[in-house]
Amino acid sequence: MTPGVRILDAHGHLGTWPDFLIPDPTAEGMVELMDRLGVQAVGISHLLAVGPDARTGNRLAFEAAARHPGRFGVWQVYNPHHRNRLIAGGVWGVKLHPDVHECPLDDPRYEPVWELGLPVLAHGQTDSPWSDPALFAAVAARHPHVPLLMGHAGLWPHGFARAARLAAGHPNLFLETCGSQMTGRWIARLVELLGADRVVFGSDACFLDLRVGLGRVVLAPLAEADRALVLGGNLARILRLGDPA
Amino acid sequence: MPKLIDAHRLAGPVPFDDLPEDPRPDMDRLGIDQALVTHTLSLYSDAQAGNEALFRLAGPRLIPVPVLVPAALEDPPAWDARMVRLCPRRHRFDLTGPATLRWLAELDVTVAVELGETTTAQLLALTARLPGQRVLLLNPGYRHLRAVAELMAEAPNVWLEIGTVNTQRGVEWLAGRFGAHRLVFGTGAPILDDCGPRFLLECLDRPADRDLIASGSLEALL
Repeated sequence: MTPGVRILDAHGHLGTWPDFLIPDPTAEGMVELMDRLGVQAVGISHLLAVGPDARTGNRLAFEAAARHPGRFGVWQVYNPHHRNRLIAGGVWGVKLHPDVHECPLDDPRYEPVWELGLPVLAHGQTDSPWSDPALFAAVAARHPHVPLLMGHAGLWPHGFARAARLAAGHPNLFLETCGSQMTGRWIARLVELLGADRVVFGSDACFLDLRVGLGRVVLAPLAEADRALVLGGNLARILRLGDPA
Repeated sequence: MPKLIDAHRLAGPVPFDDLPEDPRPDMDRLGIDQALVTHTLSLYSDAQAGNEALFRLAGPRLIPVPVLVPAALEDPPAWDARMVRLCPRRHRFDLTGPATLRWLAELDVTVAVELGETTTAQLLALTARLPGQRVLLLNPGYRHLRAVAELMAEAPNVWLEIGTVNTQRGVEWLAGRFGAHRLVFGTGAPILDDCGPRFLLECLDRPADRDLIASGSLEALL
């Protein structure tokens, strides 16, 4: 699909979700698609962990990663109410979902996450009291040593440009591209507004379809060097993954 | 890849963004041969003005899909169109009201309607009242697969646009139950994304499904 380009998906899931049908929620189905599309690795959190049971969901994510070595990085979910234990090594970082957990991103209950110092991927949603992009800017300023990925770049098209403006002054804050409202055109605009080194490909698969999320970047009107950064170069740098095997 | 037709495309300006008004450059870039097009004036301003602009724009690559606004005590327009679009929520009429049923019965034309403009229950009622009416359901999304499947199981004259069926292997799930001959490539661009659905089409599990969804199903529908 994109010869010679390392593709890393920053935002993935396994498992089912209550309010709609996900026809293929499996790790095996995801790996089959990854092989076909040339995706080296997907960062996953289990949807059970995003929902009511972070401990069990995180265990399921680690088990899937162990079954498919090198194909999944784990974003361990932190639930600020359950205060589940986090580990410091062998993971891509920490996944937060302020909207599902009904705890705003700048809430002190997330302190254990920032103290850990690992990269953080958080759901971002313009106008949400829990995850508006302004909260990302505030947290990024408070914890400049923590790479922070704004999931969905704010989710709603009317907020994409503002999300880019808010991120501009915080070099540790990155916009991640997945979401049902994202377009290839908007990905190109975000690159123009914020810089290609600050936009990171994510698909939200299996919640969404890996092929749709990847296609938005592969077919977006981008320069090839910028596309390579978005598809995987930036995430490899953020996660310090080194050269591909 | 056979001929590729986008069954859901817009031309013209929108009030909330700066988007290409002519769909053809993006179609060229993505290898889309033809598109069924509605004019944005019909959605965001005046339906009649939009339809007039649409017919001026139409050509070999852009197939007009005018917007129909049924009205009591009036006759339906005499358009040369293979598909018309209904927006019952936006234009505040009843999809199964007497004016709509009378006009559709007289026109005998395929109807396109966004799921957000109606409900699966309303569409089921429409197809029960007019069993021969062909319907293309636009922008069904991915959160209503169960309800959409109920509709498609009960109403064999309903086709589905896949552009927003965006959950993992959702298109294959529908193709497995109803056949790819009920699924149609469409995007809703430029408001909605065309890059992702275009890429998905290339990467479907079954190449035979891809060929039908690219244009075969739509040509049969129209």
